Amino acid sequence: MRRPIAPALVMAGCLALAGCGGSADGSDAAPDLSVRSAYMPQPVTDSLAAGYLTVVNESDSSDDLVSATSDIAGDVTVHETSGQRMKEAGRLEIPAGGRLVLESGGTHLMFEKLKRKPKEGETVSVKLRFTKTDPITVEMPVKSATYRPTSTKSSGSSTHSNSHH
Amino acid sequence: MRKKTFAAALAAAAALTLTACGSSDNSSSSPVAEVSAETGSEKAATVLDKPFEKPDLVLTDTQGKSYDLREATKGQPTLIYFGYTNCPDICPLTMNNIAVAKKQLPKAEQDKLRIVFVTTDPERDTPAELGKWLKGIDPAVVGLTGSFSTIQGGARQLGISIDPPTKDKDGKVISEHGTQVVAFSPKTDAGYVLYGEDATVDDYTKDLPKLIKGQTP
Repeated sequence: MRRPIAPALVMAGCLALAGCGGSADGSDAAPDLSVRSAYMPQPVTDSLAAGYLTVVNESDSSDDLVSATSDIAGDVTVHETSGQRMKEAGRLEIPAGGRLVLESGGTHLMFEKLKRKPKEGETVSVKLRFTKTDPITVEMPVKSATYRPTSTKSSGSSTHSNSHH
Repeated sequence: MRKKTFAAALAAAAALTLTACGSSDNSSSSPVAEVSAETGSEKAATVLDKPFEKPDLVLTDTQGKSYDLREATKGQPTLIYFGYTNCPDICPLTMNNIAVAKKQLPKAEQDKLRIVFVTTDPERDTPAELGKWLKGIDPAVVGLTGSFSTIQGGARQLGISIDPPTKDKDGKVISEHGTQVVAFSPKTDAGYVLYGEDATVDDYTKDLPKLIKGQTP
């Protein structure tokens, strides 16, 4: 069942990468990064929250997400889930012409030492730092605790909303 | 189940191509959108051919009182999940999904349903901590803590494997959560349906009325 489908998919996956190798508009630095589909589910308590986003690299040069800070948290770390275990991730590569997806059940931003509890409808400011690219500040909307992007677990989830360019 | 495998293969295929197509041209995103439509139609529930016996677990609830799982949930539709409160990602999502779905049931059915959250990080999740966290989700959820080995043994009886929390080099505690929510029938007290991490509010909303009657979703 799976075999015959896979090759077709490989094509689809490649085609679906919006801006795969496409030229950047108005950027001078080598990597051309943009952040899409950012959100934070409203956390349960005022001590801990998670955040998700996709970093798209529309250039031929790779970059790494190094760290993050936020106005509402004393500490922001990037965590990855491997199996059932969550641990702090090191640098995360954003491959040339590729993307880094932080999504529920996988890699995510973990906000600790919150200054207040973010509530649905609010916006949280997050500054992402990279190896090469200048920092990018993302206004991350706080969604309901059970919010899910329209498509999860697929690399194409963020291509629906490419307006934050 | 077949659809699920299919979707996973898709995601894997798409991911694999990420590094391979750096120089290809940009194009429409529609193929991937179709993939997500496919995953959305899959069934969340896995009905077991051989249901699990309810684990013989006696732990401590958020009031600090002894809680005998079998005795307290006998003849009640019951959902069990193993997780920990210092988990920002899957644990609150799973519990909130269930809590939100439960609120859509008629009041009488809400009162029948037992939702049990068993911590996998008992050292940090004291009764008070559990209570505080669950209050932010649904105060009616039963939160249980106790010795790790007891919890691990209970989880194992449900086919859920959990290793004890460890510390990383910075002294941060790394815990594990279970991968499944197990639903127990009020008719047989057996764990007969499983939900994975991908189960949504809609999935639970659709299935809870059946689970409460001990029916197969």
